Amino acid sequence: MTSLSYYISSIKNELIKLKRTFAFWLTIISALLFPILFFIAYSLKHKTNTPEIGINPWEKFMTVQIENSIPFFIPMFIVLITSLIMQVEHKSLGLKHLFALPIPKWSIYFGKLTIVIFAIITTYVYYYIAILFTGALLGLIHPDLGFFNFQPEHLKFVKILFTSFIASLGIIGIQFWLSFRFKNFIVPLGFGMFLAIIGIIISQAPQSIYFPYSFSVLSVSLGDQMPLTFGTSSVVLFSIICFLITSIFGYIQIKKMNIK
Amino acid sequence: MNQLIVNTKNLNFSYNKTKQDIENLELKIPKGSIYGFLGPNGSGKSTTIRLLLGLLKQSSGTVVFFGEIFNRKTRLKILDRVGALIENPSLYDHLDAIDNLRIAANYRQNIANSRINEVLEIVKLTQAKNKKIKEYSLGMKQRLGLAISLLSNPELIILDEPTNGLDPKGIIEMRTLIKDLNKKYGTTIFISSHLLSEIERTCTHVGIIRNGKMLYQDTVARLKESKGTNVKFDIEVDKSIEALAVLKNLKVKNISLLDDFLQIELKNKEEITEVIDVLRAEKINIYQVSIKNNLEELFLSLTEN
Repeated sequence: MTSLSYYISSIKNELIKLKRTFAFWLTIISALLFPILFFIAYSLKHKTNTPEIGINPWEKFMTVQIENSIPFFIPMFIVLITSLIMQVEHKSLGLKHLFALPIPKWSIYFGKLTIVIFAIITTYVYYYIAILFTGALLGLIHPDLGFFNFQPEHLKFVKILFTSFIASLGIIGIQFWLSFRFKNFIVPLGFGMFLAIIGIIISQAPQSIYFPYSFSVLSVSLGDQMPLTFGTSSVVLFSIICFLITSIFGYIQIKKMNIK
Repeated sequence: MNQLIVNTKNLNFSYNKTKQDIENLELKIPKGSIYGFLGPNGSGKSTTIRLLLGLLKQSSGTVVFFGEIFNRKTRLKILDRVGALIENPSLYDHLDAIDNLRIAANYRQNIANSRINEVLEIVKLTQAKNKKIKEYSLGMKQRLGLAISLLSNPELIILDEPTNGLDPKGIIEMRTLIKDLNKKYGTTIFISSHLLSEIERTCTHVGIIRNGKMLYQDTVARLKESKGTNVKFDIEVDKSIEALAVLKNLKVKNISLLDDFLQIELKNKEEITEVIDVLRAEKINIYQVSIKNNLEELFLSLTEN
């Protein structure tokens, strides 16, 4: 059996395990939350939101929405979804069974990590589709909003979302290790939520570019003022480094861990 | 016949520095046996099982499976021939039995779909295969856990307290299942339990552990023999004081009185008829006569200080 087949079967199993779980629904609920709120806000006050002639309504609709939801919401969402996905395993006392099976331990750890990342990417995709859909729906109900007269600037917004995702990798690595390591749901959740709030509070400070829990805020709020390291956005680079370090050391620690 | 499936040498382990949880354990599980691993709660049974499966890292000593030392290199090869049910079975209770088995089968990779139905049939859960585990009783969960460990047709099955929390019917079903597996497929079975009666009825071999040390290890038959030749009886009578006097005249050894029960020791089973005749001749009513479980006493004497 090859390494690849271990990895694939691990991912296949993680997908089965997510069936009918709250973690699965959370990806959909989180993605729809803000687009629905904005849909309601625009429907109620469509007069004030009607743009002047020649102005692309998508610009304001998407920018305001993304800037106000992504920075604060994504860290919380990551903390929650990682804990929930791991909780499926802890609740079923699954680790002792998995680690006594004839499969390499890395395939379990990285298979699960892949699914966590996949769930987060899916949420981003659902979110983007939901924004477009609610925008189109508003255009249909209130043609004066002008959503059908213009095209959204896809490239620009996809880039913002993608950067936000990469900037979140760092905390995915940390939270995943914590959730794997501690059976008690409260540990990764409490720790993660606490640091996510700290991350938002200190994001004004220039030093926050070294604090992974601020990266999500910074990736959106700094925009063009982002400091560069080796020609790339510092936050993006630090996030990737943080992810690699925590994933590798997390795995080494889990591999040696005594399963009680 | 004397080939050992599992053999540990000088196995040591401790959770913390203050206490040695497993001490120089030498476990010998012969091929084709049903090996009962017996010990009171907290004696180190589960810890031993976790050490065998590599879930815990021993501080010293070796574990040998099928003649090969268990280490990082041999781990996958060895575990491929082993099925295990460790304490409460690991089941995803938001899924049904089929999904749970499919997950285990996917991990093991080389298992045919038909095998899932086969193992369900063996543990008699075919009718409940589409029910969510949430709705399962404890006994059904234990059986499904066993089914998962059977998936790969392992040469060795390790069961940690498989009858724990089961009702009498569940215990009998589990016992029959274990014996059948051993008989039909020649599977070696390692069971841990704190119930002596369980081990006595199911197993061919026994190991008794206390405070992480192996106190006794041999066949169940030899354990019974080792108890000497005398047989102990409990006799319930109406006039116990009189009966005591009568039996003392008969020169029965080691008589004692406990409530309305006389406890006596005889050389063999046959002698009890004589005792009964004498008591009846004195018009003493006898309500019950039972042979005391020698093994139980042995177990208690071994495991208590």
